[in-house]
Amino acid sequence: MRKISTYTAILRSFANSPVAGPLLTLVLVFIIFLIAVPNFATWRTISGIVTAIAISGFVTVGVTILMITGEFDLSVAPMIAMSGYLYGTISTGADSVIVNTLSKLGLPVEGGNLGLAIISALLVPAVMGLINGLVLISTNVPSFIVTLGTRQIFRGIVWIVAGGVLFQTTENLSLYEIFNGRFDLVNNLSFLEGANFRTAMLWLLGVAILFQLILARTRFGNHIFAVGGGEGAATAQGVRVNRTRVMAYIINGFLAGMAGIISFSQFRSVRVAEQAGIELTAIAASVVGGALLTGGYGSVWGAIIGILIINMLRSGVILLKIPFIPADNFPAVVGVTIIAAVVFNNYLRSRSTS
Amino acid sequence: MSQENGLSVVEMKNIVKRFGTVEALRGVDFTVEKGKVHALMGDNGAGKSTLIKVLTGLYTPTSGDIYFEGKRVTIPSPADARALGIETCYQDLALIPLMSIWRNFFLGREMCTNLGPIKWLHQGEMQRLCREALHDIGIEIRSTKEMVGRMSGGERQSIAIGRAIHFGAKLLILDEPTSALSVGETRKVLNYIENAKAKGLPVIFITHNVGHIYQVSDNYTIIRQGRKVGTYQKGELTQMDIADLITGAREV
Repeated sequence: MRKISTYTAILRSFANSPVAGPLLTLVLVFIIFLIAVPNFATWRTISGIVTAIAISGFVTVGVTILMITGEFDLSVAPMIAMSGYLYGTISTGADSVIVNTLSKLGLPVEGGNLGLAIISALLVPAVMGLINGLVLISTNVPSFIVTLGTRQIFRGIVWIVAGGVLFQTTENLSLYEIFNGRFDLVNNLSFLEGANFRTAMLWLLGVAILFQLILARTRFGNHIFAVGGGEGAATAQGVRVNRTRVMAYIINGFLAGMAGIISFSQFRSVRVAEQAGIELTAIAASVVGGALLTGGYGSVWGAIIGILIINMLRSGVILLKIPFIPADNFPAVVGVTIIAAVVFNNYLRSRSTS
Repeated sequence: MSQENGLSVVEMKNIVKRFGTVEALRGVDFTVEKGKVHALMGDNGAGKSTLIKVLTGLYTPTSGDIYFEGKRVTIPSPADARALGIETCYQDLALIPLMSIWRNFFLGREMCTNLGPIKWLHQGEMQRLCREALHDIGIEIRSTKEMVGRMSGGERQSIAIGRAIHFGAKLLILDEPTSALSVGETRKVLNYIENAKAKGLPVIFITHNVGHIYQVSDNYTIIRQGRKVGTYQKGELTQMDIADLITGAREV
């Protein structure tokens, strides 16, 4: 009897958790591909999926935090590009608009400045997030529209800062290896044959743990949920709603900056249209991961699982070699996933209520 | 300045509130005495909620003065109202359905440890205190971790009122607390109000339902179209009189 009640208690608390639906979906998708796709259960495929979520993972965590406050950000792609240009040019000291301007201002960027590269690549996108937040609270225009506008404006600024050209480097700084190099310590383990993990997954894991703790265990996290779950009630209880919103945008900018660093560290190149379209993938991943578009509900782990599901589907569907769905027709599959996942999550939520 | 020589907990004088060209309050006087349940009544749109939102810092009055315990005060934000000891339970803005009971209970006054900029929540302690506080008021819940959205209207209202009673040091304001409740649930809520009164806590009870408040109120203030019709003692008016004054079927 006791055994059953403990079991039910665990089951209920699992069903109540926002991660329940997404986790079940992930396991389901994994099992289906395990059966249907011959080469799916290889370390090569699995490490490929994990590596692919690193860059979009940071963005998804930020976008999810924003969605919990009830807001959106469509301007993450130019933030990532801005971060990539700042990080790439300042770390190498290469001849570029950014480096030339900074050295004219008397900053020590000749031959590269690693500290300044990291700080500016995180700080500038955070300021861009701050701008989004300030425009939102001062105009009361829906964030969807505000960030649709700032996306274009930010892209224009990135274009100016970039001098309109792609930046790439052949330099192989150890900094790049730290942020997103081959994780050979793991890859060389004998039982992980064919694995190709990269160090970015550790950074993503660290960021996920940090922000999950902030959301669940701090006052700021509590206010994030309150603002998205009931703005009026939060205001009446003395929560500083606008300040909370602006903070969420700053965090989102910071995480986009992180994505820029991770991306440049892997590819050693950045273009003005870097990661274009990622804003919608991130929103999709958040929703698949259990976040509500209406705000007040979601989790960081859900976000990570959501982006994992989407990337696992991509790999699986490509390996399945279904006619008409090659790699570049993959968005159609994402579309189906989004709707199916939301229906499934809603079903689970209503089941756990009764 | 207080005419009741410290007997009043709050005194609002000649309160005017305009929204653009709309005059929601046209010079309302409103006094609540210590230890009394004061019903604030009026039809929908009469201005009763506006008056209360002025008192709780959600609206800034266009003109007029507020005295709290004899001292003139300004209440620019809900946090300031709370600092004075005014606790409000709004009909539409009470709890956040997607958050747990304990998180709702302590929202805006979380107990935490300061680790630099990070305010770390004392989760266990808040859950325990929330359970105890609700138990003291007579509200039994299954778990403080349960989401408010899963509870019935009556349970939600109980928790919101329980929270207001627990934290309401000097004045408790209930905005239409019985409007969406069944007969049984309404009786429970009226019991909580009796309990609060027994503890000496003054209560402002806003409603347009005469029947609900007739037995628990000591005073009635009726407002209509942004003006005060009058303040009456218990027993001065019948339920029928009150209804007529609210609708304007009878002038004073």
